[in-house]
Amino acid sequence: MAYSDKVIEHFENPGNVGTLDKNDPNVGTGLVGAPACGDVMRLQLKISDDGVIQDAKFKTFGCGSAIASSSLVTEWVKGKSMDDAMKITNKDIALELSLPPVKIHCSVLAEDAIKAAIEDFRAKRAARVTPAVAAEVAKEA
Amino acid sequence: MTHFDLFNLAPSVDLDVAALETQHRKLAMEWHPDRAGSDHHARRLAAEKSAALNDAIKVLKDPVRRAFYVLELKGVKLDSDQSAARVKMPMDFLEEIMEQREALDAVKATRKLDVAHVMAVKIRDARDKTLEQAQRALRRDDVPAATTALGRVRYYTRFLEEVDAFEEELLS
Repeated sequence: MAYSDKVIEHFENPGNVGTLDKNDPNVGTGLVGAPACGDVMRLQLKISDDGVIQDAKFKTFGCGSAIASSSLVTEWVKGKSMDDAMKITNKDIALELSLPPVKIHCSVLAEDAIKAAIEDFRAKRAARVTPAVAAEVAKEA
Repeated sequence: MTHFDLFNLAPSVDLDVAALETQHRKLAMEWHPDRAGSDHHARRLAAEKSAALNDAIKVLKDPVRRAFYVLELKGVKLDSDQSAARVKMPMDFLEEIMEQREALDAVKATRKLDVAHVMAVKIRDARDKTLEQAQRALRRDDVPAATTALGRVRYYTRFLEEVDAFEEELLS
């Protein structure tokens, strides 16, 4: 099976490979895997308090399409709001990379990774905000 | 017709491989295209049957592939398709795999094959134990448990293939 030029481009020169500090309260981490291939993909987003994605890093162990899909989404999400990033679908990714049907699950994985990273950030923020609110309520009582 | 049907066997992870291979040799002889005579139709049938027998023996004699195949017959094709991509692996397992793969990458950077081999021994052991879990789950018809276990087997297998590729790269 031949990879498309865009897949090869991302595979040979993947952008944004690396890690962000997962303990940073502004970093959301998404870890997903597809047993279909035995792929594992970690996507990390640094998100400002007002919900804008400032940085994105990934590490993927998998086929060329999985690496290209994750590289592409890190490029796409930078500068986007969380809400806009949540709107990226696997179809957008598959279309951009011209993925063949047997590799569609790689784009599904990348979509899931964005959502998982944002959910992780939201959960962290909720945990951060809740004690503060609780303290505020306690003070007023 | 399933691979098991070709040998008149009921689908099962438990199989006498030696007996299977004997039977395969017998059937392969029976269906050998050279014995089909000159009739065009008979020759084609023999060729098809021989090819099917070949495919079947490859899958059935390998315990890992056999387990994946039994799961497939129970309705879960853990292969490159979207339904399987939606099977969620447990988070702690994915973390474990990510760590192992990153550790292997670090070892590859230092080109230390012996260290990679030590890692492979541990992973192979984990793979074998997980395969046994999958087989037990398949015997009691627990498809979700078998699916997760074979998903793990797939990850461990990838790791071992990666070590093999590293070894080949160093030796070439």
